[in-house]
Amino acid sequence: MFDVILQAGASVLLDPVTLGLMGIGTLAGLLAGAIPGFTIAMGVILTLPFTFGMSPIQGLATMMGVFVGGFSGGLMSCMLTGIPGTPSSVATTFDGFPMVRSGKPGLALGLGLWSSFFGGMISAVILVALAPQLAFLGLEFGPWDYFSLIVFALTITVSLSGDNMIKGLIAGLLGLFAACVGEDEINGVARFAFGSDHIRQGFAFLPVLIGLFAFSQLLSDVEDSAKAKAPLMKNSAEAIRVEHRKAIATVLMNWINLIRSSFIGIFTGILPAAGGSISNILAYDQAKKASNNRNEFGKGAVNGIIAPEAANNATAGGALIMMMALGIPGDIVTAIMIGALMIHNIIPGPSFIQDEPLLAYGVFIAFFAAHFFMVGLQAFALRLFLLVTKIPMYILASVILAYCAIGVFALHNITFDIWVMFGFGVIGYFMRKLGFPLAPMILGVVLGKLAELNIARAIGISDDYSLFVTRPWSLFFLIMAIVSVLFPFYQNAKKDTLFTKMYVPISMILLALPLFLMGSPVRMVVGGILLSAGCYFIYKRSSILKTI
Amino acid sequence: MTNNKSDIIIAIFLLCFSGVMINDASNIRDLGFEGMKADAWPRVVLWLLVVMSSVMLGKSYLKFKTVSDKDNENFNINLAKFKNALICFGMFMLFLSTLDYLGMLIGGILFVFGLLTLLGGFSHKLIVKHLLVSILSIGFMWMVFTFGLRVILPEGEILRVW
Repeated sequence: MFDVILQAGASVLLDPVTLGLMGIGTLAGLLAGAIPGFTIAMGVILTLPFTFGMSPIQGLATMMGVFVGGFSGGLMSCMLTGIPGTPSSVATTFDGFPMVRSGKPGLALGLGLWSSFFGGMISAVILVALAPQLAFLGLEFGPWDYFSLIVFALTITVSLSGDNMIKGLIAGLLGLFAACVGEDEINGVARFAFGSDHIRQGFAFLPVLIGLFAFSQLLSDVEDSAKAKAPLMKNSAEAIRVEHRKAIATVLMNWINLIRSSFIGIFTGILPAAGGSISNILAYDQAKKASNNRNEFGKGAVNGIIAPEAANNATAGGALIMMMALGIPGDIVTAIMIGALMIHNIIPGPSFIQDEPLLAYGVFIAFFAAHFFMVGLQAFALRLFLLVTKIPMYILASVILAYCAIGVFALHNITFDIWVMFGFGVIGYFMRKLGFPLAPMILGVVLGKLAELNIARAIGISDDYSLFVTRPWSLFFLIMAIVSVLFPFYQNAKKDTLFTKMYVPISMILLALPLFLMGSPVRMVVGGILLSAGCYFIYKRSSILKTI
Repeated sequence: MTNNKSDIIIAIFLLCFSGVMINDASNIRDLGFEGMKADAWPRVVLWLLVVMSSVMLGKSYLKFKTVSDKDNENFNINLAKFKNALICFGMFMLFLSTLDYLGMLIGGILFVFGLLTLLGGFSHKLIVKHLLVSILSIGFMWMVFTFGLRVILPEGEILRVW
């Protein structure tokens, strides 16, 4: 194992081309994260066509740079102008901007930068420790369990993606349907081709994603003529010297907040579709609740900057754990990364780390290294960011639309892919306007073929459908799916109803059942803890209900 | 843009779409092999789509009936609001339709120049600026993909004749 890690380390850290590409990727990510209206996913999408000609490790290292850089880029715009560059830096604005306004811009940027760095490092350690173990666990999965896992991934995406669950479910189903078009994987029979040879080949994964996400986003960005013609930022900002030493000392002094926020980020990243946009607000909220000086929050509190920045970078590590170990994307960015891996004929899944150890450990090392690039390039990125923000959005959007067309064509050298991107771009734009969340559709497209393949395998092995509920892992994921479907109702229900009081304990008791069925001592202990906690909560809450 | 009326229209559209696709699913060939048939999974997905669209239709209709007429009348499609998006659709479609004749280089430059001018304005200064941006950006990308990444981008009839 050690020699594999050394080889992987050498392929990333001793290859000047890979290092250079990773540096460029990190810079691109920092800029994409900083520019309001752009997102990290957009940065990864735009980098993707350049990786087609690279080796898998170079391509993934480059995208890892964009991924890590993107999470940190958002802090530049939110601190200097008060406008969050990405949704994952919204909470940083609450205290980052007031601290800059109070005359400490160097410290504010330093705190954001080093919290991101340390948060990322903690998640990288967890990634290296947890991903191989989770993958080992994944090897226990049969097609029944895998199918149920996909059902859970889709339902949790729907439940976390917005207010309107029905629209989320419809978006997910449309994604699953888009993945059905073309020859089916098992029999090679054409489906919904309507006589077209191009459609018979199916929709390539990346044109669909680029259309749904990037194309529709660009159209939304230029919708308002006045805004599209104005420079990206009206508030001018100046390049600032970052106070590194003071910032490092301050971040380390608040180590409890740093670790708590990092773990919130990792956990949120592991959940499918719950990305940095959720983790930064969760971590900020917890930091505020735990603080003795709650009144300071919103006025430039140190912990108000550390918490969201540590959490959003740690989310990246969490999302990678699911991608590397089980092949399930943790968010839209990792969904695109799965697409990038597929271009290089690599299918992520439980056996990925065992089958491709050099590549897997190369990704881990690239994730570590990208954080050092992120710190080193922040000052340069800040200057570039100030230049880019003088450009109006309509110029950026027009050029990027053309670039998307070139990039998509480069995938298979066929014009039909550009038509697919255009078609899904139009669909994505109208879905945005009509209030349909895009994340479930994207996950549906990514996981559709995998879901069909696994259900076909399950039925092929045995026609006993009860296996979906009698196999412990499958049952576990199905219960999780039901729990996640009910979660929005739990959130919106009144506090004193029987449902809100019993939702958490009954979920715990139900989840304990498959853990007991697994038979392993550790899992039975976890099941026992869940069962006891669930029963205890029911006892306590039922006595409260009686008094009411 | 969303309200109960628009949701009703979308739900009806989705039901029609599902109906057409379920009908087309009957054309999927059965090779007679054991195991899951090629049309089984799409049918499951489409029937679930029918169920969800029906729920959306029912919910929107009930809300439509309960809220005041004034709230329901607020929905009107203001095409002016989507002017820029429609320009982008139109220009992109034109670019794609003429790609075989103009090629990626000329077509790309014309697309970016046209889009910039339609979105940004027509003054002399802006036209020069847009021309420069379109030539430099597409020229640079074309060179990177053609010479750097060895991608053979569509040449187009015009450049092929030359």
